[in-house]
Amino acid sequence: MAKAFRASAGIMLAPAVTLIGVFVLVPMLLTVWLSFQDWSTQTPFSEASFVGLGNFHEIFGPTSVGRDFKTALLNTAIYTALSVVLILPLSVVFGLLVYQRQVAGGTALRTVLFSTYMVPMIAVALVWSKLYAPSEGPLNQLLGLIGISPQPWLSSPRSALVSIVLLNVWQQVGYFTVLAIAGLTQIPSSLYEAATLDGANGREQFRFITLPLLRRTLLFSAVIAIINAVQVFEPVALITQGGPVGSTNVLTYHIRRVGIERAQGGLGSAMAVMLMISLIVCVSALFAFVNRKDSE
Amino acid sequence: MSAATRSVARKRPSGRKALLATAMLLVAVASAFPLAWMVLSSLKTPAETMQVPPVWIPHTPTLDAYEKVAGVINVGRSMWNSLVIASITTAGILITSMMAGYAFAKYSFPGRSLLFSLLIATMFLPPIVTLIPLYRMVGSIGLNASLAGIIVPNLANAFGIFLMRQFIAGVPDDLIDAARMDGASELLILYKIVAPSVAPAIAALALFAFVYHWNSYLWPLTVLQGNADAYPIVISLSRLLSYNRGAVNTGLVMAGATLAVLPPLVLFVFLQRFFVDSIVGSAIKG
Repeated sequence: MAKAFRASAGIMLAPAVTLIGVFVLVPMLLTVWLSFQDWSTQTPFSEASFVGLGNFHEIFGPTSVGRDFKTALLNTAIYTALSVVLILPLSVVFGLLVYQRQVAGGTALRTVLFSTYMVPMIAVALVWSKLYAPSEGPLNQLLGLIGISPQPWLSSPRSALVSIVLLNVWQQVGYFTVLAIAGLTQIPSSLYEAATLDGANGREQFRFITLPLLRRTLLFSAVIAIINAVQVFEPVALITQGGPVGSTNVLTYHIRRVGIERAQGGLGSAMAVMLMISLIVCVSALFAFVNRKDSE
Repeated sequence: MSAATRSVARKRPSGRKALLATAMLLVAVASAFPLAWMVLSSLKTPAETMQVPPVWIPHTPTLDAYEKVAGVINVGRSMWNSLVIASITTAGILITSMMAGYAFAKYSFPGRSLLFSLLIATMFLPPIVTLIPLYRMVGSIGLNASLAGIIVPNLANAFGIFLMRQFIAGVPDDLIDAARMDGASELLILYKIVAPSVAPAIAALALFAFVYHWNSYLWPLTVLQGNADAYPIVISLSRLLSYNRGAVNTGLVMAGATLAVLPPLVLFVFLQRFFVDSIVGSAIKG
């Protein structure tokens, strides 16, 4: 296009590029730089002193700093894996329930499912902390009705992290259901008609048409679900404070505690860098996996 | 599915429908239950919230819990703060996203795709990764503990630019060229020609941004550093849980949560079409 528009392009881009540059890209580079520094968050950046890989040695070392970080990393990995493993299949099943045309009410179901995504996570955490209450909480009461003994939920180190995964799945699954529906609408109905003529039953159609053609959608969903999962903060900050005995200490909570509350900016930044690297590795592995399946 | 069950399914389509309907109902109930429980509990007496087995429907619904919430936190002030944060941030995102989206969709300039990829990459960056230096930066320009500190860093985001570019790309070039012939400036074209053509996408982005920043917790909590006057409702809420812990705070907590949930949920109920369309649009076109 004509040269005259170069100036216009500059004007149009300036606000967004400046803001994102200053408040996202610069802090990201600073995080990387700070991860090699000894720096207190309460002092100016100029006070930082270079320590090489010292912070990384420390967060993977045998002291309490290292133990806490490794626990948080592991907890985050478990939390993320469980979230993805629960959310993706549920989103496909719920998507099929909304998308089918045999029984009316699909759109209403979509509305109900998606509405939970609008609820502030802090309210989700508050409400679920009461749903999980050991004696008067309705969840244990409902379990009692079908003969299951009361669960300790958030109060036991064995079940606290899973309990937080469950409330996260409840909140987010509607969003992923909408993504799944978007994928389902992209599958040409002629494929199903042809399959029916060939005598393929419902399960075969799902296995050989629906699932393969949803692969791209599911990849996108998995990436978003992973990135959402590592951001879990409110239920941990509000209800468990990382406990009991560190079982819900996840990275977003831990990095903020170290880097802001304890003002150990260098250590916190090193942890943030490790989180970023883990994410890049996970997402690249997912893409590689799906691309290999595609070329098969 | 074996041949036998298949023929059963074929013979009894009504049984299959009943199964489907039951499944849909179960999913809907499970999904709606926590919020229904929240609202119902907010109307119970303290004794009812502690009763075992639980009282499902309050016998004598009361607004006492809401009154108590107003005694513990400054509801009006917090809601106002949330409204200010969400509205100004949304306005900023709309302006910056439309301008940049227009540039990426309709201009060609050197480095366009590189710049676009760089911006889009920030969409996948969890906020915690930049939290520590950002906290220090905002503090050093004197914006900590203020609403401005919450708002300013969020006035532009990659998702908005992405969404706007996708939709503005569909606006015919002829329409824009005709306006240029008439001597209209680029900003005027964006405002008068482009914006009306992508109104549904703008509505969707506005709703997304508003709800996201109404609900946002980590950044306001970090930047406000205990300045209660500037607390948005979601941060004020967190003080309800520690108030009179255990004993009779269930009604209080549920009433507070109901208040915070209402604005985004009401927006959603009325405007869900835009939400859903834009998610579908961004997923398919992405």
